[in-house]
Amino acid sequence: MSGSIEVRGLTRTFHTTVRRPGLAGALRSLVNPERVAKHAVLDVSFDVAPGELLALLGPNGAGKSTTIKMLTGILTPTAGEARVAGVVPYQERERNARNIGAVFGQRTQLWWDLPVRESFAILRDIYEVPKAEHAARLKEFDELLDLSSFWDTRVRHLSLGQRVRSDLAAALLHDPPVVFLDEPTIGMDVVVKEQVREFLRNQVEERGRTVLLTTHDMTEVERLAERVVLINHGRLMLDGTLEEIRRKFGSTWQVRATLADPHAEVVPPPGIALLRHDGPRVVFGPDGPDAPTVHQALKAVIERFEVTDIGIDEADLEDVMRAAYVQATGDA
Amino acid sequence: MAMVHAWRAARVTPLGELHAPPRMTAVLLRLSVQVVLVWSLWRGLYAQTGTTAGLDRDQAVTYAVLAVLASRLRELDQYTGRDTVLQHMHFGTIVYWYLRPLPPQRYYALRALGEQLYGLAWALGGYAVCLAVGAVEPPRSAAVAGVFLLSMLLGQWVLYYVMLVLDQLCFFTLRNNAAMLILLFAQNLLAGVYAPLWFFPDWFITMSAFLPFQATLSVPLSLYVGRIPLSDAALQIAVQAAWVVALALFTRWVWRRAAQRVISQGG
Repeated sequence: MSGSIEVRGLTRTFHTTVRRPGLAGALRSLVNPERVAKHAVLDVSFDVAPGELLALLGPNGAGKSTTIKMLTGILTPTAGEARVAGVVPYQERERNARNIGAVFGQRTQLWWDLPVRESFAILRDIYEVPKAEHAARLKEFDELLDLSSFWDTRVRHLSLGQRVRSDLAAALLHDPPVVFLDEPTIGMDVVVKEQVREFLRNQVEERGRTVLLTTHDMTEVERLAERVVLINHGRLMLDGTLEEIRRKFGSTWQVRATLADPHAEVVPPPGIALLRHDGPRVVFGPDGPDAPTVHQALKAVIERFEVTDIGIDEADLEDVMRAAYVQATGDA
Repeated sequence: MAMVHAWRAARVTPLGELHAPPRMTAVLLRLSVQVVLVWSLWRGLYAQTGTTAGLDRDQAVTYAVLAVLASRLRELDQYTGRDTVLQHMHFGTIVYWYLRPLPPQRYYALRALGEQLYGLAWALGGYAVCLAVGAVEPPRSAAVAGVFLLSMLLGQWVLYYVMLVLDQLCFFTLRNNAAMLILLFAQNLLAGVYAPLWFFPDWFITMSAFLPFQATLSVPLSLYVGRIPLSDAALQIAVQAAWVVALALFTRWVWRRAAQRVISQGG
């Protein structure tokens, strides 16, 4: 089954009542409420290919979760359409449920009073997974997530990391081709985060699952996603690879070099600006929109100058995304 | 795809209870204390009188003890297990009910069935003990027993829908603890759990006749103790069946409306 996601002009508008300030305002709101429309998601289009992991990014309140809720069939869009593994999720909710798995942050779908393994067994029955298949998949997930060390413990007694690992397994036990993960590693320690990332990588690369991930953890994005979609104020701001995003928002690299000849004339290569020149020490940075990448700049500097020492400072993805969010907010 | 094994979701609540032995001990203690107190209270109330509100002492005591036992059928501690609809709405975990191939209304029904069967085991155990020690009287005839069982089944069905309506309220008012408490009190009062409805004034009995609550417990228990004669049983059972149909249609409509409210958990 193809695990593709197709989103075309997806829009969701909520109507809310504006509360006027003060006692008189509150009374007026009661008698004559003022209704306003708010676009949580507006005309968003993108595709996710089968076996691809796409990071859906954006600041809080950007519309990420609303988008996921429409793609999982919980919400019906006001306009536009979506197909998940060939199914329109909000029209065929039950059929869609068999094709998808989902983890919503720290919200567990496991039964609080039951041992993890019992929860898995109930989900097996709900999804009608054959027992042998269920056992095989559980064994596979145990090897990747070390579930057996706590799966006889009641969910209420699990640590956050154990619970999220259990939830990930629970979401995938029926072998869905498409997985939605809404901030799955929020609040987890680095060791468990890495274990979860390894698990997700395995599920994408080995099992060919399509994953739509929302997160604020840029390390996670860097380690897992090749492509990101950035939305803000409900609108799609950018759809591209990490490299494209770096090029657009993260051209803040610097190349620091110590020249062999401190009196040499310094004329930087094309697209590169000389930022500082202090004796033999020089600092280069990007010059204009067509500036080379940091690695191209490094090569160009070495080819042009005789250097005794060289290093690079590159803005990390967090800086890049901060710049992207700020620009996106300004554009909106 | 046919839902061959999904019915096993009915084991959720009983399993949760069985994994919490202290909770089971508490239930046993509470049930024992309640039965003894109710038995003592009604025997005390009848110490100076023969027949009141159409019930003699043995009928009243039997009614009251059976009401305590029957209330166990749906009185499981879901709150501790974070499994009330209100909690699912509050924590946002209600979304998972809508992400499974088992529709939420069917999952809810299966879960309730498991609860009621588990509660029935407690009630039957308690009934056997009470019968053995003479705290309750046996049904007066096989016909009474049969009619009582049918009426009790319908009563539990009505009760299921009444509780469902209360839970469905959570989709529309996230913070409805107070409303829930009031409605639960009304349900117990009007169903005749606290005291047989025969003891209330006429206007109260007339009013409750237009509500579904007395169909849950008062009718089957009154049939059991003989306060409603067998000749009136057909009418009472027909009324119970009518409530089942009416509430089924109403809750089905509310489920459809509720599906549009799942977004209320935000995030």
